Amino acid sequence: MAYILQQLLKKSAALYPGKTAVWARGRSITYRELEEKSNRLAHLLQQHGVRKGDRVGLYFPKAVESIISMFGVLKAGGVYVPLDPQAPADRVGYILGNCGVRVLITNDEKRRGLSSETLAALELSVLTAGDTKSSNGGKVVPWSILAEFPADHEPKVTLTETDLAYILYTSGSTGRPKGVMLSHQNALTFVEWCAETFKITSDDHLSNHAPLHFDLSVFDVYNTIEAGATMFLVTEDLALFPTTLANFIESKGITVWYSVPSALILLLLHANIKRERFPSLRTVLFAGEVFPMKYLRRLAESLPGVDLYNLYGPTETNVCTYYKVEPARLESLDKLPIGIACENTEVFAVNDQDQIVTQPDESGELYVRGPAVTYGYWADAEKTAKMVVSNRFQKHFQENMYRTGDLVTLAEDGNYYFLGRRDSMIKSRGYRIELGEIESALLSHPGVKEAAAIAVPDDIVGNRIKAVVSAHDSTALKPAELQQFCAARIPKYMIPEIIEFLEDLPKTSTGKIDRVRLLETVPA
Amino acid sequence: MPTAKESTEPAIKTQIRQFIQENLAEVKGISSFRDDESLMENGVIDSLGIFRVVSFLEENFGVRVGDEEINPENLSSVDTIEKLVTAKLNK
Repeated sequence: MAYILQQLLKKSAALYPGKTAVWARGRSITYRELEEKSNRLAHLLQQHGVRKGDRVGLYFPKAVESIISMFGVLKAGGVYVPLDPQAPADRVGYILGNCGVRVLITNDEKRRGLSSETLAALELSVLTAGDTKSSNGGKVVPWSILAEFPADHEPKVTLTETDLAYILYTSGSTGRPKGVMLSHQNALTFVEWCAETFKITSDDHLSNHAPLHFDLSVFDVYNTIEAGATMFLVTEDLALFPTTLANFIESKGITVWYSVPSALILLLLHANIKRERFPSLRTVLFAGEVFPMKYLRRLAESLPGVDLYNLYGPTETNVCTYYKVEPARLESLDKLPIGIACENTEVFAVNDQDQIVTQPDESGELYVRGPAVTYGYWADAEKTAKMVVSNRFQKHFQENMYRTGDLVTLAEDGNYYFLGRRDSMIKSRGYRIELGEIESALLSHPGVKEAAAIAVPDDIVGNRIKAVVSAHDSTALKPAELQQFCAARIPKYMIPEIIEFLEDLPKTSTGKIDRVRLLETVPA
Repeated sequence: MPTAKESTEPAIKTQIRQFIQENLAEVKGISSFRDDESLMENGVIDSLGIFRVVSFLEENFGVRVGDEEINPENLSSVDTIEKLVTAKLNK
């Protein structure tokens, strides 16, 4: 039984050395190559001072090297931090600083985009591509240097399942992203449940649609490796075009697909999705946002015989509940359940009287306990204490549970149903977005007096974002200028598509922005 | 004397560029991009943006773009989009 993630690779490399493990952008590597290259990288990292628990950033577009890097960092005892290659340099710089990254695996182009302050904190950059000539930011070495390091064994590091494996940054309400710390045990709890539930075998072809800084990719990467299967990375050029993506699913013989619903909806609307085209496809998993029933019905009709699963869970627990779509019930269901708890995970709803909900149709906030639950947020004890709390429902031993902030009901059919959020976090294209982070970016503009970000519900992407701003001098400020200002601070998917100006934003009696009245004033 | 084709070419490109600039680039805070630059790699066009471009081409130039034609070869840059439209108009 594996207790640290790299053991999954060791086992599959021994069983299937010549088999393709990962394919991306027309290149592929075998299990033996993945094992050997990650051993070499681990030695390189260790020689340059990476020790147990040290954070190593991964900052380059998805490639075969992404997967080598993940395992290389883990084998050195390190903790990898995948960064959005499309995020503004300011945000990337913040994340690197926040978790103290001194070693970065990147490429020349991405590295050149970082600020001199960010570069000054780096001791080593390993470049997957590009020129290694550099005047600042520590030592820079090319990927080819790996050849100088031993391939046949990994460096010796003592790790247990409770050590950290990776940190995933998500939107933070106070204006800065927060780093969710995930241990080997957190990841393996989920991976083992998936292996059992979806019966992944060495014959499977998994896709990887989600970006690697997004927790959906944990399934793609580790369940592929666990089973000795093959993973095909969906790069941006493929992801954006439904017909190209459908051709990819067909030509690569994808058997198991996992993505946000919006990706599937675009395929449904603009590509020719028919069972006959995808004879190998057997399982489609989706998570990250609510799948509108009208499209889910169409998906089920287009892909008869394919098992569809709705997976639910915040990054802090990975997936904690699941629902296997029952085609016979699709017509009568008006809302898709988030289902029941995964194995080795317990979930329950807690009502306003702080009691666990037992009666059907009563609602409460969903709590999660078990080995999948995060330790909390990197270098943020305050936020951690608010969300990862001691289990007050039993007093015999100390354990934590995670408050999801999601309101749910437990229905007669035994399934949980998602109702909404307790706070102002929203989802768009499956991305978690704190409206507060957008407001904070807008407010840092000197011309902005007040700002409110609003989610406008959308059938395909879940939500679009609109902002209402009051300016110190409304004639001087243009939406495009504010959007450009935001682009330097927050990811593109968080920038408001529409910005409207009001003289003053409506306030409640306590002086807070009145969101209810605001929505009445500026209808979506 | 310029032929009809030569005189319409810059106009088509200008219109495409202007639409993308005002509706897709600016809202993402991107102020400039080259005509031969990949609009996917620089993040100007996202999964929904592609369909806004297609609707614009259909409404503005009266051409029909089939789902099969919505691919990176045709829609990756201002240059390739112009080529697609010109080819359709000259049919």
